[in-house]
Amino acid sequence: MRVHQVLSGAGRYDAVTTQAIAFRALFTAWGWGGRDVAANIDPRVAGEIAPIATLQPAAGDLLLIHYSGYAPRLRSVLGLPNRKLLISHNITPARWFWDHDPMAAVSCALGRKQLPEFAAAVDVAAGVSLFNARELGSETVIPILFDPAQAGAPGPEDGPGPPAPPTILFVGRIAPHKRQDAVIRAFELYRRGHAPDARLVLVGRPVNDTFESAIRELAGELSPGAVTIEYGLAPQQLAERYRAAHAFLCLSEHEGFCIPLLEAFHFGVPVIARAVGGLPEVAGDAALLLGEGDDERVAAELLALVASDAQLRAQLRERGARRVAAYAPEPTARKLRTALESLGKPNRSIG
Amino acid sequence: MKPEEALPAARAAAAQRDAQLPAGFAIEPTERVSIAQFVEWAAIEPDPSAMRSTRPLGAPITFLKRQLLHVLRQYLRELEAQQTRFNLNVVARLAELEERVDKLEQRAGERERR
Repeated sequence: MRVHQVLSGAGRYDAVTTQAIAFRALFTAWGWGGRDVAANIDPRVAGEIAPIATLQPAAGDLLLIHYSGYAPRLRSVLGLPNRKLLISHNITPARWFWDHDPMAAVSCALGRKQLPEFAAAVDVAAGVSLFNARELGSETVIPILFDPAQAGAPGPEDGPGPPAPPTILFVGRIAPHKRQDAVIRAFELYRRGHAPDARLVLVGRPVNDTFESAIRELAGELSPGAVTIEYGLAPQQLAERYRAAHAFLCLSEHEGFCIPLLEAFHFGVPVIARAVGGLPEVAGDAALLLGEGDDERVAAELLALVASDAQLRAQLRERGARRVAAYAPEPTARKLRTALESLGKPNRSIG
Repeated sequence: MKPEEALPAARAAAAQRDAQLPAGFAIEPTERVSIAQFVEWAAIEPDPSAMRSTRPLGAPITFLKRQLLHVLRQYLRELEAQQTRFNLNVVARLAELEERVDKLEQRAGERERR
């Protein structure tokens, strides 16, 4: 069997490209061929992903479209006679970007308009979470392939935990909808009320320089010297950040899946998060989820509880390990294989 | 404490503490872009300081890029002027249409009430 993966955009650090590369490794292990192409390519991944114009599938080849953003050239793929599976990786609503990154806002607005048209034109539309799938009127879920072995070893299970001072972590693009401003506020309230020596580590590539400056400025004003912003970390460095963290605080306003959540569970870091999008589905009962009316003050008190209550931490750690097991790579790989094999057979539908 | 008990406990503690949210930069979604905002965006003003190299030790490249902007300034100004002219005219037309629709809706409402 030959499966060609088509991406809207391919970048060095983005989750969709990482996913496509992991899928390709699986396809190769299954003895399947095919190529990976994208409409927009970061030169740093040009060796692994080819331009979409070079895609010439033979009759009977399958197309796996990873949809994560608007790309005008992607439309040409819909006209190909091959059977197609679309996986929606979710597109952030444009309203979060108009003020801070107009081009990203345009791409999100157009992408969210284009996606239903794509979903209607493919043979099977799926989402990485049920939240994403339902946006397309589908119930088919092919989750993100998360391999804990690739993430690095967690810290010792029964030890005293990471050394002081209390360290709060958030991993995710420095982007408006990720609300790093709210994370900094919650952290500052926690610092003022409970732990003056606490530290906040934000890991993520900023959407642009202006937005990065605004976030850095806020951190400097509210918590001078206590906030670190990092990006471009190697996997081992990222693992170290997780191992050193006492809590993972995610105040995103929109998440389709949120891989860092699974990473935090894997490293045994207690998670506090806003219950939005696909996040509650991934977190299950393993995270402390904030409700709609809960602001940064409640998040700060949750940070204090997590930092001071060993029993709470132990229970969250145990539940987190179960969530990682629920998203083990083997069942995800089986789901993907079943979906593609069923698509390869004529007149078969996938539930 | 069980995880299920943590949120109610945190809510109670937050209510008791009654702390003020720290001020400063706060992100708000733009639910509907107003005509006034469109007008502001229509007159384009690219920030030349955004032109820079992202490579390590890219200072000489940044310098060259900014020199290039300087050399091309007449052409770029012409480009900005043409784009702004188009943008502002489209926004003005949009504002007129919005006003017209409002008036028509108002008239239709009055007719229905009669």
